[in-house]
Amino acid sequence: MGGANPAEVAQFIIRSRIADPCFVHSLFSQLPDSNYSKLKYIISSSVTEACNNSVLLLGSRGCGKTAVLELVLEDLHKEHPDMISVVKLNGLLHSDNNCALKEIARQVCMEHQLQFSKMASFDENSKFLLSILRECGLAHKTIVFVLEEFDLFTEGKQRLLYSLLDAMQSVLSQAVVVGVSCRLDADQLLEKRVRSRFSHRKLLFLTSPGEDFQRLAEHILLLPMDSRLPNDFRASFNEKLLNILADEEFKGVVDQLCYSESSVSQLLRFLFCAVCHMDLSSGSLSIQNFKSALPSIQRQPKQEALKDCSVLQLYLLVCMRRLEVKELELCNFNSIMKEYKSIHDSFKTSDYYARNVCLRAFEHLLQRGLVSFQDNRGQGQSAEFRPVKLLISWHELQQGLQSFRSCPPLLHKLMDREG
Amino acid sequence: MAKDESPQVSRRTTRASLNSTPNSKAPQEHSKATNPSRPLTIKDLVFRGKSINLDELINSFPGRRAQILELVQFLGPLNSPMIPLFVYGGASTGKTSTVLYMFRHLKRPFIYCSCVSCYSPSILFESILNQILLHRKNESGGYLSAKRCERPSDFVNSLGEALTALIDSLKGNMRKSSPYGRMVYLVFDHLELVRQWDKSDSIISLLFNLYTLLKIPEVGLIFISRVSLDTFQSDTGFVEPFPVYFPDYTEDDLHQIFMSNQANPKLYSSFLDLVLRPFYRITRRVDELSTAFSPLFKKYCEPLGDLVAVPNEDMKRKLFSHLQPFISLSLNETFTISSQPLLKDRNLRKSVFKKPGVCETLDEIDFHMSTSAKYLLISAFLASRNPATLDASLFDSTGGTDNRKKKRKVSEKSIDQKEAKEQEILMKGPGTFPLERLLAIHQCITSVGEYSLDDEELQNGELGADGSDSGSMSDILLQLSSLCSANFITKGGSCPLEGSTRYRSIVSEDVVLKVARSLKFPLSKYLYRR
Amino acid sequence: MAPSADPETSPSISTTNSDLQPFFLLHKAASRKPSSKTRRRIDLSPKPSDASAQEYNDNLPFDTFKLLWSNTQSIIKDVLKNLNTTVFDGIDKWVHASFDAIRASRTPDFTTATSMYPIPNNVPIGAQIFTALLFTKNVESVDDISTFADLGAHLRSNGCLVANLTSIDFSAKNGVGGCLKTLLRQFLLAGIDAPEMSILASWYYEQENYDKPLIVIIDDVERCNSSVLNDFILMLREWVIKVPIILVLGVATSVDALRNILCSSACLYLSVCEFNLGTPAERMDAVIETVLLRSCQGFNIGKHVSAFLRNYFLRHDGTLTLFVKALRISTAQQVFSEPLSFVLRKLVNEEGTEGLNGDNNLLREPAIKRALELPSLQRFCETRGNCIDWVSALSELKRLHQLWSSLVMCLYEVGRYRKISLLDLYCEMLKLKPQNFCANDLNLVEKDYATAVHNYQSPGCLQDNGYVGRAFQMLGDFSAMELCKILDRWEMLTRGIAEIHEKVKELQSQMTLEEKQLRHDLRKESKKPTARTYKKDWTSKSTLNEKVASFLQSMFREYIQTIESIPLHEIIFFDNVDNLHTALIGDPRRRIQADLLESRKFLKCSCCSKNDGVLVPSMHHTSIMYTLVQEHGDLVNVHEWFHSFMAVISNPPLQSKKKLRMSPSPKKRKDSKEARTKTDASIQAEFCRAVTELQITGLLRMPTKRRPDYVQRVGFGL
Repeated sequence: MGGANPAEVAQFIIRSRIADPCFVHSLFSQLPDSNYSKLKYIISSSVTEACNNSVLLLGSRGCGKTAVLELVLEDLHKEHPDMISVVKLNGLLHSDNNCALKEIARQVCMEHQLQFSKMASFDENSKFLLSILRECGLAHKTIVFVLEEFDLFTEGKQRLLYSLLDAMQSVLSQAVVVGVSCRLDADQLLEKRVRSRFSHRKLLFLTSPGEDFQRLAEHILLLPMDSRLPNDFRASFNEKLLNILADEEFKGVVDQLCYSESSVSQLLRFLFCAVCHMDLSSGSLSIQNFKSALPSIQRQPKQEALKDCSVLQLYLLVCMRRLEVKELELCNFNSIMKEYKSIHDSFKTSDYYARNVCLRAFEHLLQRGLVSFQDNRGQGQSAEFRPVKLLISWHELQQGLQSFRSCPPLLHKLMDREG
Repeated sequence: MAKDESPQVSRRTTRASLNSTPNSKAPQEHSKATNPSRPLTIKDLVFRGKSINLDELINSFPGRRAQILELVQFLGPLNSPMIPLFVYGGASTGKTSTVLYMFRHLKRPFIYCSCVSCYSPSILFESILNQILLHRKNESGGYLSAKRCERPSDFVNSLGEALTALIDSLKGNMRKSSPYGRMVYLVFDHLELVRQWDKSDSIISLLFNLYTLLKIPEVGLIFISRVSLDTFQSDTGFVEPFPVYFPDYTEDDLHQIFMSNQANPKLYSSFLDLVLRPFYRITRRVDELSTAFSPLFKKYCEPLGDLVAVPNEDMKRKLFSHLQPFISLSLNETFTISSQPLLKDRNLRKSVFKKPGVCETLDEIDFHMSTSAKYLLISAFLASRNPATLDASLFDSTGGTDNRKKKRKVSEKSIDQKEAKEQEILMKGPGTFPLERLLAIHQCITSVGEYSLDDEELQNGELGADGSDSGSMSDILLQLSSLCSANFITKGGSCPLEGSTRYRSIVSEDVVLKVARSLKFPLSKYLYRR
Repeated sequence: MAPSADPETSPSISTTNSDLQPFFLLHKAASRKPSSKTRRRIDLSPKPSDASAQEYNDNLPFDTFKLLWSNTQSIIKDVLKNLNTTVFDGIDKWVHASFDAIRASRTPDFTTATSMYPIPNNVPIGAQIFTALLFTKNVESVDDISTFADLGAHLRSNGCLVANLTSIDFSAKNGVGGCLKTLLRQFLLAGIDAPEMSILASWYYEQENYDKPLIVIIDDVERCNSSVLNDFILMLREWVIKVPIILVLGVATSVDALRNILCSSACLYLSVCEFNLGTPAERMDAVIETVLLRSCQGFNIGKHVSAFLRNYFLRHDGTLTLFVKALRISTAQQVFSEPLSFVLRKLVNEEGTEGLNGDNNLLREPAIKRALELPSLQRFCETRGNCIDWVSALSELKRLHQLWSSLVMCLYEVGRYRKISLLDLYCEMLKLKPQNFCANDLNLVEKDYATAVHNYQSPGCLQDNGYVGRAFQMLGDFSAMELCKILDRWEMLTRGIAEIHEKVKELQSQMTLEEKQLRHDLRKESKKPTARTYKKDWTSKSTLNEKVASFLQSMFREYIQTIESIPLHEIIFFDNVDNLHTALIGDPRRRIQADLLESRKFLKCSCCSKNDGVLVPSMHHTSIMYTLVQEHGDLVNVHEWFHSFMAVISNPPLQSKKKLRMSPSPKKRKDSKEARTKTDASIQAEFCRAVTELQITGLLRMPTKRRPDYVQRVGFGL
């Protein structure tokens, strides 16, 4: 795409940056006393001193734990070539011992060009693991076990963790176990025998993107020197961008954004949306892009679902709400219908429909997730008998009714009466 | 395709058929189908059919302009990477067809799998892999998939390999400048169904984390769901995909949608003016509306001679008065049944309603049931409805001749329980009962019921008598089983040897009323009325 | 009443009467005293000259039975087939119409069809699955077991691809995968371990059968697991454009059942069309008409049996299967119990009555003896000595029978117009008494008419003259063209019966004559006057209806005499209700309990047969236990029970007597004690075994958690 519109190129570059977490968090690697340096120190020390170690990276989702780890490993690969071999496991995939050991064996085999047998049994794999640990220990090669979604490994018997950490007790072996989890209490989940073998190093990743945001935004949005970009374009683009970032209005937008949720991934989504809305003809980001990006990120699903309801469905919701106010311990479709009928009898509404039509509307409410069954019991029983509960508060319902375009006034009256 | 394709899709295709895309293809389609063993190529991952430009795309989806533009922006120009998208909105709001048509517009390779057809994780995995590996299940292959994979881990591994291979070949294509670009998009439809697959939601979080697991920037993930993100709970959460929201159609949108692709727009718009508003209050789903409209429109057109003529005002008025009754009728109806002309006698009930009031019109039950089965059904119904404590008072040995009085006494005694009782029945629905109670009630009822039949008794002497009570036990058990199989009575699961199975009558009240009427059985006398 | 009972019974019928037992094996337990007695009497009926009786009895009856039954069976089979064909053809037409509709919308090419993503269709209502509801108007599903298989075969023969599913495939355990698997197995004829719709699609286009509709028949929708069924429908609906699948759902009861099962979205995707099979009553009439009336073959059922069957049909189970089974049983019983039944063969196969005199069987002593005992024959011709005019007697029998049945048919033709079922007519005609026949002229009919009308609503009741009277009454208020139709039918029915036939013919000619001058008031009548208006002015009615009515009555007066007056009717008409009842309806539960109480009657051991009533240890333990249970209520304390049981087992009565008399000496007590200790374990074992047996026979219910030391009696049935 040599002769492409530079704006497109710019957009392409930024998009690919956003889509690549490593680049995003490479920012943090430059900072001093960041988790990056700490982690790097831990691992490199255990590599150089040929000792075993284990560490937990804890932090909320999307705050770049894995990315930092990736960076560290990358650098260590550069610094100590072929002294490190990495085995990556993910709790989502390998929480079950058997397949975890299989996976370990597979990755080790791939790295050392051994041939891997799918059919190998659990015992064979565990034996293989031990022997590999010993071999690497002898070869002064550190194996780094990366356990993502670490909390999921703690479900069940924790045999994998035990066997790993136990193997590391021996002087021969030389390995590092890095657990990555977004549960800050992940180390509390460990059994006693496992915890006793675990060196309690924890790196907490606390994101305070309020101040980081500026840096992060610049880091991502500022265009680099690039052959495909004419310099003047890049200069103008970056200058405009810096102006925007400095703008108070923009700061307001950012505050709103961080007010609801302040995680890196949230910011990334925000930037992504803004960049996608970038006007290619003008070839620069405008404050407008950021503003318009905001609402499309901060969704209010319940309100949207309420807006999508038909009038009949609103009636049913209001009936349920009234039943809740009456403090009936349970309510199901039949009682809702009773309420609906009583409303009709007292107010002679124009929209009073047959039971089956209401049942259909009721099923739609279930689909929309505004209503849900109380429990999973009584599957066999027909839907109208199963107890249900309302998933939206009175306030939400009220708000939804007000914003609903052709909402019959009666409903407002009913809501206010008992509200 | 969920209920997502809506009439405007049809307009699209008919236009396509005007410039003769599918129909002209039809002959050589068959020739192609005769040698189906043509190996799949990357070309087959691109939406087949004529490509459309953006305007056509937007025009073919009334009321979806904003969403289409947004989606196109998010997918961006060729080769631009993206973060996962989450397209959500109510049923039949055109999510699936919009996305598909967008790919038809963009002409990029994509992989679609709907979680309706792929009803289990392993099948979902395999069908994705089959598409990526350009594998086709055919007879020669024994209809096997390219790879068996049960475990998520296997899936992710082989998916990574397959995708990298595919993307490499795409890059190779790019060098010889084939238009597809190097991005591959995975579309997961009906994601809301995945929630029911397993309790632990592992599959959901797997899918949402797929992008970070794969670490392949050339992969674009698009999730299509009917429910918003907040209903996908998972204990440790996931990196949320970017939400794209499809709101339900407004009344004007619906009007546009239905007006599109009409033979006689004037006529149809006059029709829509009548029906759309009332129905819009009930449902806003295109498919439900159109199922309701199509028979109504036929009715509407009945008085007309020619369907091409533009109706004038008084004609409209006439048509309106002609249609009016049917509108209110079909407003309250969800399930229409057309009966065959060759069954003359049944034409009277063309459509059936759940509303009991309407069910009264056809008065007798229209299927055969033996008398004793009817009695058994009634007694089961009573056993389910009445509280067991009242049996003694409702059925006394004299066969309920004077239980009017008794019943009243009972109801006076437990006037306060009534509310609770009523509420309970409203909540719990029909109660369960052991076999013995059913048999006891049945005995009482039949002993009364013989009155209605006794003319027959004296008619054929002892035959009727021992026809009714002889071998009643084995007979009744048989009847019970056949009632269970007819789904009038459900049986609580328990080992038959134990014998303590509990039954429950789930038959609707009006059916029982009909049955009782056919027997001249005084049901109300025995029913514990609240 | 399982139809499966029929096939395996047929071999079990063997030559002699005593071997009839296996035929009744299922129900033997229910044989109560009177019936068994009667059966014995019948067995011994050819008491004179037993030896010869045996040797002409042994082989004939079996052949006769085989002959008779094979005829009847074949007749019944094709009757039912004809009943269904019209509906099947209707379904077939509809299937092809809807298939064309699907194809008109779009015919995708191979790659499109096998691709996973949906293809846009231009069916305005989204894609709907064409669905036929086939109502088998009967709660009992027994009659329709073969129906759906037949439907499948019928559709296959018309170039469809058919898969038959049942509710078992839609179980919650297997989920939607289960039914998909069966579906694929039936279409692809190959087992698929990961069933999926795309497989079906690729198969459908590979095999180049994209001009054939795919039919999926589900026998009994009511029984399907609703969620699975819903998923299945949703899945089909995603593919219906690519793979033209058409559903046929068999519904036993009513459409409400279906709506209760399906969720609204699934309902939305079905474009439903309904078909109806014949009601059991219609089928029954058809069977009676062909088997008992039309094909004037020998065997027939008498009034009591018919009334009994009718009651049973209306009251207990309205299945045709049972009726056919009853017919079969009664045929067998008639053949094996009636020594003269071999004559039936002569009546059946068409060599007619000549050469009968040559038949040595008839000249046999016992046959003649037996024949002479028949009262009907004596009434027919005063017999001198031992020679009987077989030819005249049998031909008379045959003639009268034919007359009778054809007249019943004529009456039925009339009754049809007011939905009088042949079953009722038939039973009533059988029990018509001659005296109220000669009295049976119009004014009496008119008198009865009121009653007839009043219990017209309740089809259950069968009144003297109810249906016949009503039929006569109707003759009055038919319009001319209806009459024409009836006459034509009669003309067809009475062919071969000289007397009636030409009378009918001349009536027809009169009809055609009067057509002309009846033109004007014919219009008036054609708007059918109701019975009420007719009652007012039926005397001033056009002469035609009178003519017809009077003709019919004259026919009745002349030709219909009661069955009893027909000579040798005992040979044809089987009228032994008790036997049939016993054979048809067993009452196993009651029997089990009764037998347990008097086990010694069956195992005729010497030890305990003498003292009845008293419990002795030598009796069968289970029966001891059950007798002991009789004392308790429906809750039995296990400990008491065990102790009483142990008491019975461990001390025989005489010894206990001795105990009573003399004061027990220490050593005796001692050894009795050690005797007890010796047997204790074994007694417990016995006890447990007996309890388990009682539980297995369904008489006991094991202790629950709430009351661990009580067993509950399942007391009903006795």
